[in-house]
Amino acid sequence: MRYSYTKPRKKSIFTPELKLALIFFIITLGMLFLTYGFLSFKDFSFQSQKAEMIEKRFDLGEAIEEMKAQIALINKESLLGERITTQNSVLKDSITNLFDLIPQRITLSEASLLENGLILHGITPNKDIYNFMLQAPLRSIFHKTYSSFYPLSNGWLRFVSTNYIEDDSFENNITDITEEKALEKEGEDEN
Amino acid sequence: MKIKISRQSIYLITLSTILLLFVVLFSFLVLIPEGKKYREHRVELQKENKELTKYQNFHDETLEVYKQLQADNRHVIEALKSPFNIERFEKLHKEHFQTLIIAQKEKMADEETFSVYEVKTTSHIHSPQSFYDFLDAINKSEWVIGINFPIHFVRDGDLIKSSFTMRVYAAEKKPEKEDLNVSELEGEE
Repeated sequence: MRYSYTKPRKKSIFTPELKLALIFFIITLGMLFLTYGFLSFKDFSFQSQKAEMIEKRFDLGEAIEEMKAQIALINKESLLGERITTQNSVLKDSITNLFDLIPQRITLSEASLLENGLILHGITPNKDIYNFMLQAPLRSIFHKTYSSFYPLSNGWLRFVSTNYIEDDSFENNITDITEEKALEKEGEDEN
Repeated sequence: MKIKISRQSIYLITLSTILLLFVVLFSFLVLIPEGKKYREHRVELQKENKELTKYQNFHDETLEVYKQLQADNRHVIEALKSPFNIERFEKLHKEHFQTLIIAQKEKMADEETFSVYEVKTTSHIHSPQSFYDFLDAINKSEWVIGINFPIHFVRDGDLIKSSFTMRVYAAEKKPEKEDLNVSELEGEE
């Protein structure tokens, strides 16, 4: 038997108020979890970025060390190159100066340039020419000078001159004395 | 007086209380520590980035110096790297002499970076200039060569015979990599 003409509406636990409240709760929880997710993701991202940076820094450090070693090596090679070039130039000057030292009237048959000395073999018309024109400049360069003479059939003398220095390098001395000689010559020319 | 509360209201109040409790607990126990961690990591990352920039700058500066040095010393570097060739040496320098004979001497234990060659030459007595030209050419050659004492000159008719030894230098073996010393690098900067 019907007591009402209106249709009974379905009663639900989810009333519009409850639905609104649930939506609010869901949004609140969503925001909370989103924030947590964002922080966790950023954290992970920072960690991986940091690891990458440390690795890159390590690689850069290795590259720097490698370059430093290469720079040191190039500097060493450059110094070696310069030293050898200078040594060769000094040697050339020494040989030039040696040939300049020999007077016209004395003929050399053999010359040995040693690290700390000079041995000359040759012929001279007489002892005086040798003493004044060759031995005198040699004495001023070298600390020890020994000369031996052997008479030849034509009246000339064969000589062996052995000269040694004690301290400074041979090249420096022979270069210095030739410079002195050049200055003397210039002075004589001017007079 | 009797307060009448509907069932929905009770559900709502209960749910709200649970939510509030959850929000408070979640915030204090999870979000705030996570936030702190985030901030710390961000500061650390900034520091690391600063450090990396320093390294990068130092690396760039060193690279520039290295490139410049390489460019400035290209001749020596290449000369030390190129292997010595007796035939080529003879071909290049024979023009200065009548004869040029070169032979390698036996290597001593302490001669790691160079090889010693014995050279014998003859040239006309009126041209000692050829010997000077040879010494000039040696300084510009493809190899790093040092002429050594003693040098012997002997007159033989109208020729001068000379004999001497020369050292042909080769590049040193690459230095072994050392462990990266970060503190040293930081100190330099």
